[in-house]
Amino acid sequence: MIYRLHHTTTYDYAEPVVLGTHFMHLLPRARPGQFIREAMLSVSPQPETRRDETDHFGNITTTISLTAPHRQFSVALSATIEVEQPPPPPPAQTPRWEAIALWGLKDPDVAEFCLPSALAKPNGEIADYTALSFPPGRTILAGLLELNLRIWTDMTYTPGVTNNSTTAAHVFKTRAGVCQDYAHFMLACLRALGLPGRYVSGYLRTSPPAGQIKRRGADQSHAWVSAWLGPEIGWVDFDPTNNLLVSDEHVTLAWGRNFQDVSPLRGIILGGGRHSLRVNVDLDPVLT
Amino acid sequence: MSAVASCDEMIDRSGRVRGHWAPLLEAVRDVGHEELARRAAALNRQMRLAAPFGAAPTRHYDPLPALLTPFEFSGLEAGLLQRAQLLSAALQDLYGPQTLLRDGSLPPALVLGNPHFLRSLHTQTPLNFPRLSLYAADLIRGPDGHFQVLRDHTGVIPGLGHALSLRRIASGTVPELFRAGGLRSLRPVREMLVDNLQRAAQGGLVAVLSAGAANPALAPDAMDDALLARALGVLLIEPGDLATRNGGLHMKTLSGLLPVASLIRGLPGIDLDPLEQGGRPGAGIPGAFGAIRSGALKMLNAPGSALMEAAELAGYIEPLFQRLLGAAPLLAKASGDPVASASRAPFVSGTSLVSPPILFRLYAWHDGNTWQVLPGGLGFGLEQTNAAQGIILTGMKDLWVLDADEPHIISGAAQSDVPRRTQFLAAAHLPSRVADNLFWLGRSVERLEAAARLLMLALPRLESGTSLPRDLAERALIAKCLAQAGLLPADLAGGALSGRQLRGALARRKPVTGQLKEVARLVNAASERLSPSMLATVRFALNQATESLPNEELALPAMLSFAATFAGIAAENMSRDGGWLFLEMGRRLERAETLAENLAILLNAPPERLEPGMALGIELADSVLSYDLRHAGILAPGPVLSMLLADSGNPRSLAYQFIVLRSCLQHLGAEDDAESLKQLQQEAVNLSGETIGLAKPLAAIAARLRLISDHVHRRFFSLLPEAHQLEDELELEAAQ
Repeated sequence: MIYRLHHTTTYDYAEPVVLGTHFMHLLPRARPGQFIREAMLSVSPQPETRRDETDHFGNITTTISLTAPHRQFSVALSATIEVEQPPPPPPAQTPRWEAIALWGLKDPDVAEFCLPSALAKPNGEIADYTALSFPPGRTILAGLLELNLRIWTDMTYTPGVTNNSTTAAHVFKTRAGVCQDYAHFMLACLRALGLPGRYVSGYLRTSPPAGQIKRRGADQSHAWVSAWLGPEIGWVDFDPTNNLLVSDEHVTLAWGRNFQDVSPLRGIILGGGRHSLRVNVDLDPVLT
Repeated sequence: MSAVASCDEMIDRSGRVRGHWAPLLEAVRDVGHEELARRAAALNRQMRLAAPFGAAPTRHYDPLPALLTPFEFSGLEAGLLQRAQLLSAALQDLYGPQTLLRDGSLPPALVLGNPHFLRSLHTQTPLNFPRLSLYAADLIRGPDGHFQVLRDHTGVIPGLGHALSLRRIASGTVPELFRAGGLRSLRPVREMLVDNLQRAAQGGLVAVLSAGAANPALAPDAMDDALLARALGVLLIEPGDLATRNGGLHMKTLSGLLPVASLIRGLPGIDLDPLEQGGRPGAGIPGAFGAIRSGALKMLNAPGSALMEAAELAGYIEPLFQRLLGAAPLLAKASGDPVASASRAPFVSGTSLVSPPILFRLYAWHDGNTWQVLPGGLGFGLEQTNAAQGIILTGMKDLWVLDADEPHIISGAAQSDVPRRTQFLAAAHLPSRVADNLFWLGRSVERLEAAARLLMLALPRLESGTSLPRDLAERALIAKCLAQAGLLPADLAGGALSGRQLRGALARRKPVTGQLKEVARLVNAASERLSPSMLATVRFALNQATESLPNEELALPAMLSFAATFAGIAAENMSRDGGWLFLEMGRRLERAETLAENLAILLNAPPERLEPGMALGIELADSVLSYDLRHAGILAPGPVLSMLLADSGNPRSLAYQFIVLRSCLQHLGAEDDAESLKQLQQEAVNLSGETIGLAKPLAAIAARLRLISDHVHRRFFSLLPEAHQLEDELELEAAQ
């Protein structure tokens, strides 16, 4: 599938901002199954300096500085991205989950995703919850599909009750939140068993494939979970907000241990007063 | 007890004094134990006075050095070089290709799961400077006489400032010991370090980054940072002094933003960059990580270098020597109980010598090509705590590397030991924060003096006044002045004020205590710009003033005496650079404003009733004697006003304040403000010829002075408003 992606973020300030420095994760990265044909991030007003770098996780970061007074700041991403995700093997043919936990901790590219992180820290209750889907000897994919379904069933999609620093433990109690909270919840479950899981930020196609229901998190930045199924199969993505095994409806932007590693836009500004924010996302298939 | 008894640094196994200790021991005997105890106290006093921001040093300083022979040092030197090389290579790898994780030399989970592993500094291409440039090792000498490494320091390097300063201060308090034998000077190495830092900075600023007076807890050892900055002749700065522009770091100074090239890091690297890590902008340096990655900023050491100190990794370090350097470690790692196995060394305790176990800390730095080891360092007494916490370091002492070839006499606090000043310490490069603090220090000391003066004049008059019209008038004027100065609640100023009421107000509100506290706070905040001797005298005077409280009335003479000491010290001990100019401006502005306000009250009367106000005015301005001498004590408006307003030779006249202020502002290039002062001076001269309608123009002068004060503040100090983090709350709704 080939997609055309537009993502615009605009800040309007009540007072002029005299200086702004911004650090962004807003350029999509490549991954197995995702090929970036072209991607452009344009910033307005024209920044004084701009540096695009690759971070520890292989994501693309952009650091800019604005030194002319401005009342509006906007960042626009437009990209053409090819997604081709082959389905994973049948659950029965995947390794047992215990083996995954053992291998993961020793693999330098995987180890850090097995460990607790600030927003996705397991606790005893979360471990008990997870254990139901991972009895001894079960294959990893069977457990993951069930966990994905259970989280989707047990959570109530509720915008506005959580924020960027809401922890998995809190979400586990309230069972309410948005895609970010679903993802942190599932990551905390995986890490309770020492299973490797990544927080993925990205986009979901705006209109669902013909005949399917409208997805939650379309028209917006989206977040989901990537789980490791061993060196042979590699990473497979799950979207607990929509109870989906990710195939070709999702476009990956960046990944990390949790939201904090991939925060789309951070900034330190002088002045500005109150501000308002507008975000616009379109992800549409290119008709070929 | 360990199986093999620990050895003694000074005494060999047969009970004889080791040869290289003999000259020192002889010098100790010559000084005598009683005198040595006094010298130890003096050394500790000196160190306390050298502490910045009012931070008291937490440890005890021992006047006796620990000694290393040239042979011992060359062994340690080689071992330290090798270890520094190894840890540096490991850091370069872990923050780069991570082959040590891929080949299983280090467990990935221990490295990647360590909070000191900073992902923001993991880069595909190496930084343009070594991640490890400063290194220190803690060592003990085992029962077999060989040195063993107890701990590595690769993040913030503790004690380097002390290691470079303790000797200079000790040489002043126990000069006799320095005649005992030749020791290697630290100077050549220190100068090399300074040269190297400046050369690498290519004209940019070099500074020690520490926490300021506002957040002293952020820095592990702010006192050491201050000593280090002083020893290297570089600035001591805090996060608030820095601003990011166009990807580079700049220091906010009076002359604008100056690019910063290198920072010696006294703050933990974790949470240093709120831009990339989130958090309050004021708590760190937004953009620091990006500046480091882009090569605009060097940091000694790079953030994240503390990773190599991690206890979890300690067991994996030794095998790396073979893997990375192809050689066995020259220094063994200490095992077992360090307190039981460490050698013992003499420390002064009261009037006797004791021999606790000793820890040696040696320092190395990278000069761009190779590692250099400081021929000195620190010694610490070791003490066992409960098993969970391990060991604590008690007394700190200088470490001497003996060298028969060096000249025998190291002169006391020699001129040659004073670090070279760099161009960056010039007036224009004064950090805005420091200028701000000095300005308010000047104002607050003057305000304290004015309050003391007014109260000393008021109390006897309120006590003994009659009900004669002249006395009543005088008391009413005093009450108004007291209210104006904030020493009396406004509601008491209207009626007939009694001495009892004023005493009651003082006891309740403690205004003098409050003002003295503010002075003490500002002395601490500005301490880095006051020389150690000046700071010592000011703090001594401040202590005396504080001790004379809480009875504010009895304490007034002590306040005046403090203000006089402060003024004298500032006049005699401070060079007339940027710092002094701001102190002076603060003082003169405050004095002029107070005088104008008081005179506006005192001279608010028709000409025939000016006399009580004039008398008080002359007394408040401490000009009674000069007036009497000049005018035989006969009060007449002409001469009185001339003396208080227009006399450029009277240091308490308005005109005098204006002249000094104008000259300060001209020095700082503030021509427009200087011009306003010139006009004010002319107005003061004109006013001195009037006898009616003085109150209004005087009040107007006070108002103009407040405007000038605001203007000075905006021009020099509020270069930048506080930054804030762009809130993510709204953005969150986007991430659904």
